[in-house]
Amino acid sequence: MPKVNNWHLRRAVEYPYDEHRPTKQWAIVFDLNKCIACQTCTLACKTTWTSGKGQEYMFWNNVESKPYGGYPLAWDLRVLEKLGRQDWSANGEYQGKTLIESAPPNERVLHYAPVDEDWMYPNVGEDDCAGGVAGGSHIPTTPHEQAWMFYLPRTCAHCTYPACLAACPRKAIYKREEDGIVLIDQSRCKGYGECVRACPYKKSMYNTYTRTSEKCIGCYPAVEQGIQPQCVVNCIGKIRVMGFINPPAKARADNPIDFLVHKKQIALPYYPQLGLEPNIYYIPPIHADREYLHQMFGPQVDGAIERYRDLERDPVAAGLLCLMGSTDRIMHRFKVERGKAIGYDDKGAELVQVPVTEPVIERAAFDAKLGAIRNNTP
Amino acid sequence: MIRPLFIPPGARRAAAARALPVLALCSLAALGCSGKKRKAAPPAEPPPTAIDTLVVHKVAADVSKPDPAAAYWQGLAEGEIVMTAQPMVAPRPDVATTEKVFVKAVTDGKLAAFRIRWRDPERSMAGRLGEFSDALALEFPVKTDPLPPVMMGAAGAPVHIFHWRAQYQRDHEEGKPTIATLYPNASIDMYPMEFKDQPGAHEAGREQFSPGAAVGNPQSYAKGGVDEIIAEGYSTSSVQAGSEGHAAHGDWANGEWTLVIVRPLATEGGSNLAPGQRAFIAFAAWQGGKLEVGSRKCVTMAWLPVSVQ
Repeated sequence: MPKVNNWHLRRAVEYPYDEHRPTKQWAIVFDLNKCIACQTCTLACKTTWTSGKGQEYMFWNNVESKPYGGYPLAWDLRVLEKLGRQDWSANGEYQGKTLIESAPPNERVLHYAPVDEDWMYPNVGEDDCAGGVAGGSHIPTTPHEQAWMFYLPRTCAHCTYPACLAACPRKAIYKREEDGIVLIDQSRCKGYGECVRACPYKKSMYNTYTRTSEKCIGCYPAVEQGIQPQCVVNCIGKIRVMGFINPPAKARADNPIDFLVHKKQIALPYYPQLGLEPNIYYIPPIHADREYLHQMFGPQVDGAIERYRDLERDPVAAGLLCLMGSTDRIMHRFKVERGKAIGYDDKGAELVQVPVTEPVIERAAFDAKLGAIRNNTP
Repeated sequence: MIRPLFIPPGARRAAAARALPVLALCSLAALGCSGKKRKAAPPAEPPPTAIDTLVVHKVAADVSKPDPAAAYWQGLAEGEIVMTAQPMVAPRPDVATTEKVFVKAVTDGKLAAFRIRWRDPERSMAGRLGEFSDALALEFPVKTDPLPPVMMGAAGAPVHIFHWRAQYQRDHEEGKPTIATLYPNASIDMYPMEFKDQPGAHEAGREQFSPGAAVGNPQSYAKGGVDEIIAEGYSTSSVQAGSEGHAAHGDWANGEWTLVIVRPLATEGGSNLAPGQRAFIAFAAWQGGKLEVGSRKCVTMAWLPVSVQ
């Protein structure tokens, strides 16, 4: 089997096809410290893409509460249980096996097959907290060792090495050259469900009406027009930014995604140990249990949290976080100067400009000219 | 596999509701068996025998209706065909779930009917999420000299397949199931374009919200019981339009399927069967209850010669 370079794991991994990185790679960064699980992203996706027959249960985008939530039920626990204990070396190289490397002889990918009941409770575990909170208690420090939870919004990760694509016996799944979006060819799919079994993130879903498998399409019709996906532009918490990520050697400091992932190293892939090089990246929650975060985000998580806590001393990074959610368009470059953060499109045209620090204006409580009391309601 | 940490009360109820009709069916079946009056014993069937050629017997009857209990099957010996877990490509079964199929074949001069019997402890029709259908396929070489590879053919050396699924049979006999039939307790507000039940509205307007159907994938439409397929190697099978002259019907009882697939002797662009001509056949079987689908199947390892009377 060919070996391909996986920079998440800092080593070559096995994959059934040769390494071929697309011209550009779709990616989203999520700031988990800001997500409030309002599910606006979920509904934006649902109403745009999955309102048809056979799609009733589908959430190409979902938000689940960690550690107990999961859609489908316990997807992460079941995959990790299958994979068993694996380790990272001190220098950040992954020493364990990936899902493809640990596939049994008669399989392409180590997997489990969800059944319908697994999909029926998208909100299971919602807001459940790890550990108990006694009445009247408060939590003065982070990380919270006893009682913690956080929200995990998830889309398809449009992996560099997709397990769904590796598993499809009909070669009906392909990765687009122009943006790295992974699609299931709806005219070739025969609904064998191999992608549903193989995707460890469980983002391929079977449509019982069309008898084909479907998945998040990365809102490619929008992306082709330079617009970010529905789940990103509708995020009211402004926790997301979609753009294009480069591998480390080609990283550009003025590319928003490269900056957060490569330069600042505050955004991390989730479950990188599965070996697929997923392209959704998370700024980890600062308050959650570190052991759990190590398992989910790998050994870089301590450094990422440390740097995130220090952002107030980095106006460029702080400016970029202010740009998140400030434009519907895809930002290819950004710049922070004189207290302003500015986003640019692929042709260098300015898309948006925001202040890094909102100006504070103090006004008297009583407006003498109008003879009215002012309040803070805009 | 670990169990979910928490199963909400609703989940248990749903599982119980699903189990009930199954129990009811089982008890009905038990009544049917014990309450049946004993008929005169049918003539003793010759025991199955290993064969090196499958003889398609000429019968003086119309074989167009696929009927596993038709009189013309009586007295014909079953050929015993050994199967193995598909050995060539992953994913594949770890063990041969279908070890043998037993076959009879007849022709009326225009059509050939194949009666295949095999053990399958669980009747599986698929439909709901995570379920797969029992299935059986007959494979014929399009050209016999040289023969194409028995495993799905090769580029320029096509094979002609008649692929029956219990799921397709249900489509044909009971209509394609809807979400309401698959999940009777599902609650659905409204589908896009449902409000367009007015003059001038058309189904195509709705189908654009069903991607597979909108792009014309044959998988997304109601099936006629059996798919006719041409393949030229792995990953290349393509369903042929139309279903003229072929049909299938299977009955499952006592952990066993008995299936009849009818095909024309002569086809255009596909395989041909004729008296005195070289012909071959191969078999594949899927057990849906064991999550078999696609390349997860049991197959015959070589072409079996066919002799048409």
